[in-house]
Amino acid sequence: MGLVESGKLPKSLTTLLNLSRRYSMWCYQWGLACCAIEMGAAFAGPRYDVMRLGVIPLPASPRQADLVVISGTVTDKMAVSIKRLYEQMPDPKYVISMGSCTNCGGPYWDSYSVTKGVDQIVPVDVYVPGCPPRPEALLEGIVLLQQKIRHEDPATRWRGDPIVVQ
Amino acid sequence: MSDPSAGDTDVAEETGTDAAAEAPEGTEAAEEVPRDEVREKQLAVFTEAFGDRVLDSHIVAGVDLWVRVDRADWVAAVELAKVKLGCTFFDFLSGIDWAPSPWGRYEDALEDAPRANGSSPSIPVNTGIPPVDPATVEQGFAGGATRFQVFARLINVKDGTSVVLKVDVPDDDLSVPTLTRLFAGANWHERECWEMFGFTFDGHPGLRHLYLPGGFEGHPLRKDFPLVARMVKPWPGIVDVEPMPATDDPEAAPDEETAAGDAVEAATEDQASTGEEGTQ
Amino acid sequence: MSAVTDRQARAYIDAQAADMRVNVELETDEGMTLNLGPQHPATHGTLRVIAKLDGEQVVWADIVPGYMHRGYEKLCEVRTYPQVTTLINRIDWLGSFANEVPFILAAERLMDIEAPPRAKYIRTILFEMARIANIVLFLGDLGVQLGAVTPAFYAFRDREHVLDQIESVTGGRFHPNFDRIGGLKDDLPKGWIADTKAVMERMRTYCDEIEDLLFGNEIFEARTRGVGVIPADVALSYGLTGANVRASGVDWDLRRDTIVGLAHDEVDWRVWTHPDGDSFARCWVRLQETREATKIVDQLCDKIPSGPIMAKVPRIIKVPAGEAYVETENPLGAMGYYVVSKGDLGPFRVKIRSASFSNVSVLPWLLKGVYVPDIITILASLYFILGDIDR
Repeated sequence: MGLVESGKLPKSLTTLLNLSRRYSMWCYQWGLACCAIEMGAAFAGPRYDVMRLGVIPLPASPRQADLVVISGTVTDKMAVSIKRLYEQMPDPKYVISMGSCTNCGGPYWDSYSVTKGVDQIVPVDVYVPGCPPRPEALLEGIVLLQQKIRHEDPATRWRGDPIVVQ
Repeated sequence: MSDPSAGDTDVAEETGTDAAAEAPEGTEAAEEVPRDEVREKQLAVFTEAFGDRVLDSHIVAGVDLWVRVDRADWVAAVELAKVKLGCTFFDFLSGIDWAPSPWGRYEDALEDAPRANGSSPSIPVNTGIPPVDPATVEQGFAGGATRFQVFARLINVKDGTSVVLKVDVPDDDLSVPTLTRLFAGANWHERECWEMFGFTFDGHPGLRHLYLPGGFEGHPLRKDFPLVARMVKPWPGIVDVEPMPATDDPEAAPDEETAAGDAVEAATEDQASTGEEGTQ
Repeated sequence: MSAVTDRQARAYIDAQAADMRVNVELETDEGMTLNLGPQHPATHGTLRVIAKLDGEQVVWADIVPGYMHRGYEKLCEVRTYPQVTTLINRIDWLGSFANEVPFILAAERLMDIEAPPRAKYIRTILFEMARIANIVLFLGDLGVQLGAVTPAFYAFRDREHVLDQIESVTGGRFHPNFDRIGGLKDDLPKGWIADTKAVMERMRTYCDEIEDLLFGNEIFEARTRGVGVIPADVALSYGLTGANVRASGVDWDLRRDTIVGLAHDEVDWRVWTHPDGDSFARCWVRLQETREATKIVDQLCDKIPSGPIMAKVPRIIKVPAGEAYVETENPLGAMGYYVVSKGDLGPFRVKIRSASFSNVSVLPWLLKGVYVPDIITILASLYFILGDIDR
């Protein structure tokens, strides 16, 4: 839409776009380690049902997702794949870093093979602390992300970062 | 229920043996060492076949048998265990580096261990890998003559007995014959052992990286491989309060004249006197 | 935004991409190379399977683990014994309590301490509950990997009940860090035993539901019967353990066949085996073992003795010098810790024998000649947790 790219977006339209985006987030099904189980409980369990917040955990491919919850330890070997998969997601995209391993290395802060924090590789929007964080904590992280999207300017977000193919 | 480790014994040099109210399983008498006839017979199978070449052995009654052999007899010893002792199950194979760690420090230790070359560990400089003093290398069960050893455990699933076989690996020739012809499962264990220690397994179909990415330098499980994150910054949990950002030295000792330091001192004294659990 | 510049990030990727190319060694141009993972919904985590295909059949398969390698053995060397307990919970992250048990038993053997009977019983109950929590998820996931999505929801719903019970004792849904050298951290809360028995009844209902949903289904049978047969001698030489080896007909269960320090010999239970050795057998054995575990928990709950839950241990734990290896029948297989101690605050060397490492090492042999959809079936039935493979 020319309106969004040029930045001349009326406020009501901004509100509508943000509303539709934050209440219909498609979350990429990707868990690395223990936090993935809590993420699974949040997504697939009827007790902590995440669909009521509007987050649909269906896509198994990054090409169809707008949100990725990176849950679990990021090792140096895996970091390449994470970066590649993040780049495969179309803009606008969001990243929630779940668990202390992805936040900062966590209990493996001194390991020789762990990346101390996924924000060294991809930009993170919300950090959810815990080891593992309870599903409710992840839901709170999602709610925080939704609040963040609410106050977002679509023009900046829509452009995203340029993708350079090498 | 009683508080688990009530501090009626103040800081403990005593080990668990006299603290255990329950008798250990097995015999009551402390003088009589219980004999394990089954394992002694198994050891006899080894001594019959190898004679003097069984370099050492150790039996913990009712538990396990350790046998150390020479590198030249490694495959033959494993085959003997498989055929004569019925140990057809391959449990694991790994290595061990008996040198004490030059960087050693536990997360609760209030001081760093001094480095072998005398420099202070609080300054992260590239001091190189300190050489290992052979006098400090002390092996465990079934002895040893070298810093590195490879050990493998095999189990007989029919009667539950097992044997741990150890072999010395000389420093100048870090290689051991492969066990893949006897046990197919040794393949991955030997790859991991190569990756972590640097031992070559002669005859292995393909020694390549298993866990670590391709360009990784070094062999992590050797004692002289430093955990760099610990050299740069000590474990933050050791003090209750982080030092102020203005401090240049990130490892400033907590008992400098600061309010923070006083709080920490008070807290640690408090813990010691009320006998709170030292473990978290 | 990230502090790493784009150029640095790209340089990093280029340097590492060479590694990914090196891993795939192709000599011929015939056939196609299929790369499953490291991100794949069906590989239970970050496992990479490189399969060279001839049409739909696998000619050669290689497994690349290590995407979750966190360096446990090295980390254990710089931690004290209680801190190692905290860390090792996260190896098999579904049945977390079960990871602590062999390590604690090895340390207790070195210290020559025995936990009091009440602690032993509660440890065994939590151990079996960890098994139930783990296998319940396996059964749900099994459906998902074969294309039946419904069992997963049943699994997560019913697993919550077990986790509730574990949480009310230990304080954590998983990674309880509850076992201590000499006993346990706390005692059971009031009313826990009655609640647990109700939950076990619920788990038995769940097992019946899953059997109804999955095991009687003809598609499930067609996809799993005769797929991925592992003969007993191959299983033993690769070091397969747990339900995998029992499904190949080997009657071996560490709970019955070794003396460790758990209370399994005080209750009446049986070991399930199956002669076939195919995927169906492995899944079936696990289903029966879950039912058996609920019965074990029921019996133990009836018989818990009263008493202290912690032996007399010094506050600062220094384990005497020696070597000890304890292996227990964990949910995934046989897990053991070879603890070498030199009389310090922390271990000198810990060799972690994890079940999934050996279980997955059979895959390059097993996947030859198999069809592509069967790769997923075999991965599902072998059941591994990446943390257990990669440590």
